[in-house]
Parts: sequence; C-alpha cells; structure tokens
Amino acid sequence: MSTTTITRPEKLVGKRIRRREDPRMITGTATYVDDIKLSNMLYAAMVRSPHAAANIRSIDTSKAAALPGVTAVYTGVDLKDVGGVVCGVDLPGLRKPHHTVIATDRVYLVGHTVAVVVASDRYVAADAADLVEVDYDVLQAVADPEKALAPGAPAVHPQWPDNIAFTFEQKGGDVDTAFAQADVICKQRMISQRMVANPMETRGCVASWHAADRAMTFYTSTQIPHLARTILAGMLGLEENRFRLIAPEVGGGFGCKLNVYAEEAIVAFISMKLGRPIKWIESRRENFLTTIQGRGHVDYWEIAAKRDGTIVGIKVKIIQDLGAYHQLLTPAIPTLSVLMMPGLYDAHNIHAEIVGVFTNCVPTDAVRGAGRPEATYGIERMVDILAAELKMDPAEIRFKNFVRPDQFPFATATGLNYDSGDYANTFHKALDMIGYKRLREEQAAARKEGRLVGIGISTYGEICAMGPSPAVAAGGWESATVKVEPSGKVTILTGISPHGQGEETTFAQVAGDELGVPIDDILVLHGDTSIVQYGIGTFGSRGTAVGGTALYLALQDIKEKVVRWGSMLLDSSDVRFDGGHCIDNATGKSVSFQTIAAAAYRAMKIPAHSEPGLVATRFWEPGNFTYPFGAHIIHSEVDRETGQVAIKRYVMVDDIGNILNPMLVDGQLHGGASWGLGQALWEHAIYDDTGQLVTGEFMDYALARARTMPWIESDHTCTPSPVNPLGVKGVGEAGTIGSTPAMVNSVIDALSPLGVTHVDMPLTPEKLWKAINQ
Amino acid sequence: MKISGAAQLPFTPERTYELMRDPAVLARAIPGCEALERTGDNEYRMKMKMMLASFSGAFEGKVRLTDAVPPTSFRMVVEGSGKIGFMKGEGVLTLTAKDGGTEVAYDGDAQIGGTMAAVGQRLIDTTARMMIKRFFEKVAVEE
Amino acid sequence: MIPNTFEYTAPTTLKDALALVGDGGKPLAGGMSLIPMMKLRMANPEHLIDLNRIVELNYIREENGELHIGANATHYDIETAPLILGKCPLLAETASFIGDIQVRNRGTLGGSVAHADPSADFPAALQALEAKVVLTSSAGSRTVPVGDFFVDTFTTALEAGELVTEVIVPVEAGLTGTSYQKFLQPASGFAIVGVAARVRREAGKITLARIGVTGVGGNSYRAGKAEKALEGTSGSEVEIAAAAKLVGDGIEASTDLHASAVYRLHLASNYAARAIHAALSRTV
Repeated sequence: MSTTTITRPEKLVGKRIRRREDPRMITGTATYVDDIKLSNMLYAAMVRSPHAAANIRSIDTSKAAALPGVTAVYTGVDLKDVGGVVCGVDLPGLRKPHHTVIATDRVYLVGHTVAVVVASDRYVAADAADLVEVDYDVLQAVADPEKALAPGAPAVHPQWPDNIAFTFEQKGGDVDTAFAQADVICKQRMISQRMVANPMETRGCVASWHAADRAMTFYTSTQIPHLARTILAGMLGLEENRFRLIAPEVGGGFGCKLNVYAEEAIVAFISMKLGRPIKWIESRRENFLTTIQGRGHVDYWEIAAKRDGTIVGIKVKIIQDLGAYHQLLTPAIPTLSVLMMPGLYDAHNIHAEIVGVFTNCVPTDAVRGAGRPEATYGIERMVDILAAELKMDPAEIRFKNFVRPDQFPFATATGLNYDSGDYANTFHKALDMIGYKRLREEQAAARKEGRLVGIGISTYGEICAMGPSPAVAAGGWESATVKVEPSGKVTILTGISPHGQGEETTFAQVAGDELGVPIDDILVLHGDTSIVQYGIGTFGSRGTAVGGTALYLALQDIKEKVVRWGSMLLDSSDVRFDGGHCIDNATGKSVSFQTIAAAAYRAMKIPAHSEPGLVATRFWEPGNFTYPFGAHIIHSEVDRETGQVAIKRYVMVDDIGNILNPMLVDGQLHGGASWGLGQALWEHAIYDDTGQLVTGEFMDYALARARTMPWIESDHTCTPSPVNPLGVKGVGEAGTIGSTPAMVNSVIDALSPLGVTHVDMPLTPEKLWKAINQ
Repeated sequence: MKISGAAQLPFTPERTYELMRDPAVLARAIPGCEALERTGDNEYRMKMKMMLASFSGAFEGKVRLTDAVPPTSFRMVVEGSGKIGFMKGEGVLTLTAKDGGTEVAYDGDAQIGGTMAAVGQRLIDTTARMMIKRFFEKVAVEE
Repeated sequence: MIPNTFEYTAPTTLKDALALVGDGGKPLAGGMSLIPMMKLRMANPEHLIDLNRIVELNYIREENGELHIGANATHYDIETAPLILGKCPLLAETASFIGDIQVRNRGTLGGSVAHADPSADFPAALQALEAKVVLTSSAGSRTVPVGDFFVDTFTTALEAGELVTEVIVPVEAGLTGTSYQKFLQPASGFAIVGVAARVRREAGKITLARIGVTGVGGNSYRAGKAEKALEGTSGSEVEIAAAAKLVGDGIEASTDLHASAVYRLHLASNYAARAIHAALSRTV
C-alpha cells in the first residue's frame, strides 16, 4: 500500500499508435494458413470445369490415381453425404439451388469443382489434377443478367428457366403521387460492375481429424471463425464442441472470406476419410475464378423533384447478377442497397424493386461495401443528373435536400433510423478545403480554352456496425472476455476476427485507458474457437463499434470488481479507480491494479459478494446500426486526345464518430478510396458470352497502384454515435462508398460541355475518348 | 470474337476448293497439326500441338467441313481442347476468282476458353490472325 | 500455378549453353515471361537451360561507333549504365518503362528480343535505332538487322539451336534526338502502344527520321511512310501531325479487352507525335 502521487499513464485512445500486430507481419514471421505444416500432411488440388455450363458424361480418375505420390482421388459421388454449401438468407419466395460441394452430374460455372486429388506434395497434386479426364457435354451458358432474363435465354438451373432466384419490393411513403406531382423526373440506367475482392492472401485451409476424440482441428483463412465452425460442423455431421476452428494470420478478406466455401468442407471430409491432415491453398487464378465477387448490378434509377430542386421521390429497379449459386449472403446484398437508396436526403417517397438473376458465373456476395456502394453511386449520380437538368449547382442541390441536424434520430423512408449527423457542416468543411468557389471559376476559364476539367461531389451516408440481430443473417451481437492474470497482465478475447483492421492495437488502447495499464501489458487474442467465446466475426465495419463495445462493457465489469477488491484492501468504502490505482479518497492511500490482481487470485481474503479471480465476459446486442457519412470531392481533368483521367486533387471529410487511432483510420480511408477509384476507373471482372472469365489474372485486371493513386487530403468532423458508449461508427467501408461517385461525377462534369450526361464504369480511356468524339 | 479477312491463293477457284477440302492438305496446312484422321463424311479427328514462342499446348479435336457449294463456298468448324484451354472456330469460306488466282474470304467466329482465355486475352487476336496467315501460306505452296 | 516437371541445367559458359540448346533445351534468361507461362502450364519445356550464370554474356562496350550489349544485360543495367545513358539514351529511356523494378532487375535484353512479345518495349527502340542482333549457335555466329529479325508475333529469325548473344546499336549522341513514349495497359503495364522516335536535324531540316512502333499489331515495325513524310521537313507542329497520322498506315491493328484497333491506331498517331516532338527537342 502506498500514499502516492499517481503518475497517470498517457491517454492512448485518439493517438496514432503503431500497430502491435505489424512486427510479425513485416518480419515475415506471422503464421498464415500456408505456413501450417502438420506431420503426415497431404495436399489437395481441385479439378475444375473449364466450361460454364455442361453435363458431365463421365470422369476417369484412373490415370491420376495411378500417379506415384497420389493417395486418393474423389468425385461428387464420394462426397454425397456432405451437406450442401449454406446460404444463410431467407427471403420470401427465394429459390435456393442445391449446392453440392463437388459437382455431380452438371457444372454451372467455370471453375466448378468436379474432382479432388490428394497427394504427397502440391507438385504431384497439380500433375495429378491434370490427369483427371472429364468428358463434358457442353451446354449454352449465359453470363449477363439482362440476357439471362430475356426470353429464350439458356436456363442456368433447368428447373427455373426464367433464371429468376427472387424478386423483392419495398415501398415507403407515396411514390406514385410524388412522381405524378413532380415538376421534373430524371431517369438513368447504371451499372455497378462485378469486382474481384483480391485479398493479398488467397483462400486456403488445413484440416486435421482425430478419430479417437471425434475431434476436428481446422485452420482456415476466414473472417468468421465461429460461424464457419458451426456451419462446417453441420455440413459434416460433426459435434460442434469438438470442432476447433482457427483463423491464423489472415492476409485480407474484404468480405470474400465472410463465407463458408465448398473447398473447406471438401478438405475436412478428406481428412476424416484418410485420417491425415490435409492442406489446400488456392492459387491466384482459382481466386479470380471461384472466390465470390462483388457488385454485379444493372440499376434503373428515377428521381422526381420540384423545380426548386427539392427531391420528392426516388425509384430504383435493381437487376442483381447473383451468379450460379447462393453463397452465404448472396441474395441479401442487394437489399442493403435498397436501405441506403435515399442517401443523406430527406426524401420520404421511395419504391425499390430487386430481381435476383442466376448466371453461369461465380456467385456475388459481400465485398467491401456490400450493396451500399451501388446505392450511393446511384443516388449521388441521380442528384448530379437532376442538378444538371435543373441547371443548379450540384453542391447547392445537396444542401437543399440534406437531413437537418435537428431531425436526428432520422427515420428514413426505407425503415432505418440514422443515429446522428450534421451533413451540411461536414460538406461545408470539404468545400472549404478544396476551395470550391474558386475551383468553379478556374473550371470556367479552363473550359474557355477547351480543356475538360471536372469537379465531382459525393455526399455519402453509410449503414454499418452490423447490427441488430433480427436484421443480420446469423445475429449481429458481439462478445468480449477480459482476463486479468495474477501478474496484472491483461488478455482480451474478442469474438471479432481482425484481418488487417488493427484491433490488437486499438482494443489495447481502449483497455489501457480504462484500466490504467501500459499498452504492452495487454494482449488481444482472436480467431480460435477453443480459446475465444462465441463471436460473430469481422465484416460490415463492425469490429470497433460492436466488438469494441462488448470489450468496453467487459472492462467496466472488471473495474467494478477492482473497486470491490481495492475497497477491501484499503479497508475503505470511499475509493476511486484512477490511473491504474485504487485510491482511498479520504487518506490518499492507494493500491495498484497489479497488487489487486495478485490478491484476487491468492484469495487470502475475498470481498463480500465477490469471487476469486478477475475475469469478465460480455455479449452486447446493438440497438441500431451506425451511420457514418462524409463528403468526397475530386478535381480532375480528362485528356481530350486519349481519354485518360488525371486526378488533380482529392479532398475527403469523413465523419465516423469518435476515432480510436487516427493512423488506422487514415489507412482504412486511403485503402477504401483505392477500391472506389478502382471501381470508377480500372477494375472489371469481365465474363464473355460463354461464361469465360476473361480478366482472370492481374495481367488484365487492373488494381490501383501506388503510382496511380492520387494524394488524398483527408479531414474529419465528429458526431459521436449515440448507439454505443464509445461513440464510434465504423470506417472500413466508408472510403470505398464515398469515393466512387465523386470520381464518376467528376469525369461526367468534365465532359458535360460536350453534351455527355453519363458513362458507365469503369471509365476507361477508350470509353471516354469515344464519348468525347461521339 | 469475330474473325474475318481474305487471302490470295495462286490457284483457280476449282483447284483451291479441291485443295482446301483435302484432309491431307489440311493436315499439312493447319499450324501444329500432327494428324487428321477421318471419322465420317467430311469429319476428321485432329491432333495438334500449338507451339508459339514458349507456349506449347497439345490439343485434340475435330474438323468438320459442311455446307459445301463447290466451287464457291463451304463452312469449316475447327474445335480443339487441351490442358491450356479449348477453342472453337467456325466460319464460312467464300472463293472468288481474282487477279489470276483465287481470293478466299473468311468470315466467322472463334471462342476461346480455359487458361488461354483467362490469361491470354491480349494475344488472342494477333495469334488467331497469325495462325490463319500461316495456314494460307502453307496451302499456297501446295501443287 | 505449378509448372510441369522439367530438367534444369545452369551452364557457366556460352559454349556449354549452345551445346545444350542445340540438343533441344529451352533457354531461360530473366524468366519474366517464361516462368509465369510455365506456372500456368502454357509452356512446358522439358529441359531448362539457365543462361544467367554465363558471365561472358553480360557486357556493354563501345567499338567503332557502335555499342555492343551482351544478351544477359538486364533492363536495370541498360537503364543505368553510364555508357548507355551517354551514348544511346533511347535504350535507357525505353528500359525504364519496362514492367517494374523487380522485372527490370531480372529481365534481360537478349531474352526480351528473343521472346518478341508484340507489346514489348525494346523492339520499338531497336527498330528506330536500326539495331542489329547477333545470333550464335555451336556452328558459329551471324548478324541480322532488327527489321529482318522480328518476323511475326513471338516469331523471330532465330533458328533451332541459336541464341541471341548480342545486340548492336549505333552511337550517335549529339547527332540525333530520341524519345520513347508509351501508353500503358493499366493492369499489366505492357504497351498498348509504344513509339520510339530517332531524328536528326541539320540546318533546320530533318535529315533522318526513324520511327519504331510496338503494341499496335502482331509485331513491332518501322513506320516507313511516317518517316518519309517527316524527312526533309522542318519539324513544325503541322508537319509532325501529318507524319504521325501515317504511323499506322497499312498496319492491321489488334483489338483486345483493353483497346480496340481503332483506338490503338489513334493512340499510335498521338504517341508518335509526342515521340517525334520530344526527340526533336533533344536535337542540337
């Protein structure tokens, strides 16, 4: 015990603290799934269909099986007792094709697995895969959703010749009257093209079955360790509590690992069959072909307004390219677009329709933004189109329609409750940062010289921190356990599954501030279902807002216990916990957190109503989503001769509520912007008419590069979220959502003097050159 | 993708027609063709090895000659599949007397799939045209 | 992503390499094109002959008004060698556009030339330079002008058993102005269009114009009509534009995912004008 001058440790939250996870990643000592080497392990290679649609006449595996080093070859019939790949979505009338883990009599997309070879190393496995002979009866395929809807189109699934998986409709207010009474109606067809998620690490898994214990140990590169374990145990008929799933270091996901894939079940099955560990690592080419893609919209938008620019109604018909099957969340993604269709605007009359269409392509599913980028792109383009029609400044029309600060919490026409915001304030900040008025003057001067200069605005809203459990497919709560060890070191077990987001650092920042202990005394563990209590996982920008809140509440429980122990040790009922010490308010005597921890485990004496030990677990259910927002403005110029776009300035002001670590927020926004610019300018997963993916490698699929990214000027406003005690909203997807419309609006603005009103993404130089010369 | 063009051969249309429907000539002229074995009326099984710079791929497939209108036109379908992918080309060939010889105009479609399609997009156009050019060069030196 | 099985030998002398290549071995230089193709199993050589240990093929020297560059000189070597920067800057400038740093550290001039990729950068510069290529087999050497060397898509004058061992370029610094201008395919970085211009101006008139083009058609070429249109003029904007318009004349441009034939030809003119303009600005 001491009477102390308490040196309060420096506050951690809000600081640009370097990540605790980085040293192992930068020094190449992190353990990814391909680093896992178990004794007696075999390697699996998938044999995949080169055709998008075909009947399988026969499969001859004899040559492959005879190759020295090959242990086994399996086809669909061998895995007939494995459950189908799971789609966790229920929509009225949803047609769910039975998705066997290996194709049996027919293939539905290029890359569809038809057999799997198992061999002593990956080289033999690759050679053996080439020796499997499959006789295909090639059928007609269809790879475009509107073509799939056209009469006479080939049926992706023969039982549903119209290729429709579901339809969905949502209305709010009275859109018919609104449109009938409007002064002006603008219409536009828009595409949000398919994108490949491209995490740096492809998929992969290692399965190790111990028959005597009925136990499976399964390593997989996933964003949802507990959910995946539950689902895979179900598919294989295994006992959930004897199935240990470990997400080792995961090299990025961006949503494409928020899923459970056929290959994971196949590998687990083989391990059970052979009684040996089995590894499968996806090649980059396989990743392009068989990992879920994002977007895939053909949208028909309509916006109705008064002559003064007041928006009175919004309609959208979404034709969603679902692909050949439903993966975990496939049909739900476009419904998220519907939720965000009004954007930041006070529009009460909406009508949305979705047609979910089967195509002979890889399924679409949640990929960074998952439905919200498409919606924000749509509404922000429509507002610009409306502004052009009314000859109004695009900034002015936005101010006119923003939800006002006094309207929060704001009930949207789509059934949401926006938590907090001051849209005009944030937008003003961005406009000031870029010097909007002067920029418009410069633009006018440049136009006189015939230069194609554009200013593009995107004032975006986003729905994230997934979310209230009734509205999220497998539940949307999150969990945290805080364990204080006898030495006073702290271990946090979080149910989220970070794969680049940085919670090993930010959660330690939060815990460090709450408990007054040094950040390096705190360890954050995740991803192992045998160590961490059940959690939902990392996606939908929920890690901090939902996972962080569960942590925060568990920390308050620890503090409460600490105060009881401190009270007992100080023999005083008037104590406070501050700066890592419990202090008697009357005498100033104190006892440290570490001393209390030791006492709690030694248990020489236990306070009333307490137990030995110092552990707390919380499961937290959020009452709402959170709603970050912001304004992105891009100043660009289009080269008349070549159609190339040069970004001259990019200003973004994002409001994500309270910020735990500004450096990590920068990273998320810059990375998100590279996604959004990619969608606007460079990226497109293109399928030809026969269902072949023709952008199947980085030779043809263009990601942003360091040399093609503009310098980003970033700032923030802060309207804390009332939804959680941390006041945070989430930022993982905001950059992606805000950037795309700003870029496209900028280019269309640049070309508007030539009469161009819209060009579909990606805005390649040739497309723009054609538009300029039309 | 669409393929169309024309080549000039130093024979009469009748002789050109005869040559281009002769499997022995086709076997010599189709680049990389190792064997052309008759499987039916104007239908042949084909084994070919495509060698282009470092690329090499063995293909097995079919050649079919249909819609014969001697000596003016016929349709040729060439299909092949191998480890690096598959291809199917179909086109109508039209022969016209020109400049003391025959102009063979071709107009058709080609489909590529598999690895070749996914990673070789930029080469498909130039490779296809080069193979067609070589084909006609080889036919041209027949007697 | 795993190659088929192959034998591998790394000879240390040219003589040994030629014997192995003469026996049917597949030469491996930088591997920047071959190895990806092998990993996709689109190339399946039975015996790889790694040329990278052959020190005698790595040199850059000046002889009789020409630079002799050994086939194993890397793109990085060429980008940075003082002799090339000083005496044949077009080659250094072109090398700097190839791929990225890793590719330039490994890729070689000989490999690039022997591979004859229709979108490679060096062929355009070598055409404009009227370079010569030395081909060597166990039976001896022969020298082929670059215009005769690049025959078609991935097709060169190399016979079985021959290796490219040297490339020869003229030393004209001070007399000619040169420039390489490239429109990059955004994913691969290959040239959708690349134009190398080499010009000589004397007494206000262009006395020599050589324009090498890559990426437009099946293989690189010299834009003869554009060259002739430029020679004898004073190189005004109008004259440059008129010559540049001819740069795609008679060429069957290719169409692919990234550029149609029409757009390629348009870019060829546009980039030819840029290259000519920049080259002229570098003449004395």
